[in-house]
Amino acid sequence: MDDLVIGMAGSGGDGIVSAGESLIAAAAYEGYHALMTKSFGSQVRGGESSCRVRLSTNRVENVGGALDVAVALNWEDFLKFGAELPVSGNTVVIYEAKTGVAPEAIPLVGVAPTEVFAVPIGDMAKQAAGSDKAKNTVVLGLIAGWFGIAREAILRGLRKKFIKKGEELVAANQRAFEMGEQFAREHPLKQPRMMKRPDEKAGKKLLTDGNDMCAAASIFAGCEFFGGYPITPSTEIMQFYTREVWKYGGAVLQAEDEIAGIGAALGASIAGKKAMTATSGPGLSLKTEIMGLASIAELPLVIVDVQRGGPSTGLPTKPEQSDLFAAAFSAHGDVLRPVLAPTSVADTFDVTVESFNIAEQYQTPVLLLSDQEIAQRKETVDPIDTSRFKIVDRRKPTATELSDYHRFRNTEDGVSPISHPGMPGGNYQGAGIEHNERGNPTASGRVHQAMSEKRFRKLAPLKRRTDLFKVEGNPDAALALVAWGSIAGVCREAFLRAKGDGLDVKLLVPWLLYPIAEEVYRDFFASVKAGFVVELAYQPQLYRILRMFVDVPAGIQPFNRSGANPIQPREVVAQLRNASLSLQQPAMPPSSEV
Amino acid sequence: MTTTPPILPTYQAKDFKSDLKPIWCPGCGDFGVVQGIYRALASVGRAPHDIAFISGIGCSSRIPGYTTAYGFNSVHGRALPIAQGIKLANPDLLVLVAGGDGDGFSIGGGHVPHAIRRTLDITYIVMDNQIYGLTKGQLSPTSKRGLKTVTSEYGSLEAPVNPLLYVLAYGANFVAQGTPADMAGLADVIEQAIRYPGFSFVNVQSPCVTFGMEGQQVKAHRATMKTLASINHDPANRLAAMDLAQQYGQSLHTGVFYKNPDPPPTLDGQVRERQRQLAEKAIPRERILDMFVQK
Repeated sequence: MDDLVIGMAGSGGDGIVSAGESLIAAAAYEGYHALMTKSFGSQVRGGESSCRVRLSTNRVENVGGALDVAVALNWEDFLKFGAELPVSGNTVVIYEAKTGVAPEAIPLVGVAPTEVFAVPIGDMAKQAAGSDKAKNTVVLGLIAGWFGIAREAILRGLRKKFIKKGEELVAANQRAFEMGEQFAREHPLKQPRMMKRPDEKAGKKLLTDGNDMCAAASIFAGCEFFGGYPITPSTEIMQFYTREVWKYGGAVLQAEDEIAGIGAALGASIAGKKAMTATSGPGLSLKTEIMGLASIAELPLVIVDVQRGGPSTGLPTKPEQSDLFAAAFSAHGDVLRPVLAPTSVADTFDVTVESFNIAEQYQTPVLLLSDQEIAQRKETVDPIDTSRFKIVDRRKPTATELSDYHRFRNTEDGVSPISHPGMPGGNYQGAGIEHNERGNPTASGRVHQAMSEKRFRKLAPLKRRTDLFKVEGNPDAALALVAWGSIAGVCREAFLRAKGDGLDVKLLVPWLLYPIAEEVYRDFFASVKAGFVVELAYQPQLYRILRMFVDVPAGIQPFNRSGANPIQPREVVAQLRNASLSLQQPAMPPSSEV
Repeated sequence: MTTTPPILPTYQAKDFKSDLKPIWCPGCGDFGVVQGIYRALASVGRAPHDIAFISGIGCSSRIPGYTTAYGFNSVHGRALPIAQGIKLANPDLLVLVAGGDGDGFSIGGGHVPHAIRRTLDITYIVMDNQIYGLTKGQLSPTSKRGLKTVTSEYGSLEAPVNPLLYVLAYGANFVAQGTPADMAGLADVIEQAIRYPGFSFVNVQSPCVTFGMEGQQVKAHRATMKTLASINHDPANRLAAMDLAQQYGQSLHTGVFYKNPDPPPTLDGQVRERQRQLAEKAIPRERILDMFVQK
């Protein structure tokens, strides 16, 4: 096998997520491509928890579909995850024997897996380590045994994890691991499924999640200030800053509320520093007023919105793509605010650096729209050559410009030289009130028109940034997919499979969501007769926005549903297949000719 | 031995005055406040370009524009968070914050205790006129109970906020009050506030000539004001300060209510210290992703 999807669930104390982390760390060390998502009930401690780990010898961009391996430490918790842990007839099901459920009576509706193992996981842990805390280590042994994955790297990881607590605990966990392996040896699968080894040349990979990647990328981009307020699922960005930013001469403020968080970040930007804030849906609403201030005061600022299920508290631990309308349109007054979205942990680096570059280049707030899945999933990332990135800094005034300084000079490209407190000669009045080129307040309709035009004009070149769009497949294909954010990874796999099945299809993945680059879409849709804009939200928001700006072919339809209902690549492939069949049918003659 | 050159004042009050004509009504108390700020800044002697002057929304929040400092007239109630970001980003700057009573004790009231507990070295000047002037005469958080305005046709049913007692209770280390009726005193408390190492708060009774109460105009201030020095108040005594602050709204005391003689370390100072301690642990920016390599 070259691709393995493992799903595990248990109660909070079972350490199932920790097992997943050990597994993916070992996989990254061995050079596998891997991806892991965690999912929890809403309890702070205890309650149900689960994780999915996907390992592959090829690039992985989504959590995959039905599980190849399902591990249930108890069935009640496992079943709570429903569609997040889908089991098929091919799934190898491993569960705690102590549940007392017979292998032929496992409580899965509509599927009858052929390989089902009741394993006395808790008893084995007690026997090996004297405590059932080692249950998760037994599970690792079972997986390593049956699927031949990363034995040495897992043991190495266990040693690293437990050595602080003493050799005895390391030895106990090694015994628990080996008991799991032994069980697997003694109970071989009917149909052996050993994973292929990764390519020798694969090399070690980076391993991180989207939030940490975003934070690291922002520091690479030169950010020196973070102001924010804790909110799931974005808080890890602030946590990263509290550990790291001081080392780079910067600062972080955990503010008293979301508004103060963005306010402080805006202040840092006024002071001439690159700055950011991060939040999730409800916090985005609170920050909206100051985002408007940043637009009219023409200050660079990056606002990260890690989307979750909404509105309001909604589903705070689940992914959804339902903040795009808010990102693009939640503004008072005439505002154009760039919105970018990463599609994976890996490209979170690129998109974050781009967001800072655009903010600096055009002196504008930029909204970076991540989502819970990307933000909190762990992913292996091939080493990134940071030297290929250009870092943009805001345009400082020249000595000549300072001699007669106009902070908001209406230049040809609309970008004005920007000074900051501390710079002699650059003194100006920044404001939320409309102002003339010198920054003095005005209520003149003529000036307001001219300044609005300037603020829109300066962003126009963005729409020509074709590098912010990833297009794949035959340019003349009649069948197409459009997807953004974490769903893009699902669609890319669907696209590859559909192509593999002989469908002539192409794929468009925008990093830049807003402003809509009309020409990019016009070119892409020119050959298209049918296809889908795939989104994880009840309202197909990108689809709707595209229809505001672009002549979307009638055959392009939304394929979408609410967050926390994962879309699987096979579903997208099925949609494409149906659409392709409809294209092959002869067109109905116009009714007048009948 | 070298001779020390005589120390000349580097700046005069007029160096801080901009060309912009204030929008304030003739006789507005805010004219006095901006004069007090010019004088205090001249005395402190920092260059205008090293000063960041942040305000919220309201008549009084237009004040940065009438100075030659870097100014920022932000949104209603958020001057303090923005100013704190500026100070954290560049602790070398002299950071002034100003606004009205609505800005500081109504829409932005939630930011005040946090600005105080963080002890950043910034100065917050509230121009308190007990009325919303820019929107033409509505109740403000410091309006007296019973006050009739366009939003309290039959008289306000609410007790006012007591800004002095509030900030003292929040733990402010420098609290003063002034009035344009005593320009020398006003400039003095603003200067002391700016020089105080940490968060300093100055409440200025700055009358609204258009919508304010008659008994709260400059003339009335002149007749009724009592300097704290004249009653031998010890500004190191926080409880005595709180006692006096309770008379807010009844008696007009001016001068320094409280000045902690032993100021706690400033946040900006501590941030610098932390930056210095941790600088050597930085992975070069271009190699920051090394932290994610599985070892």
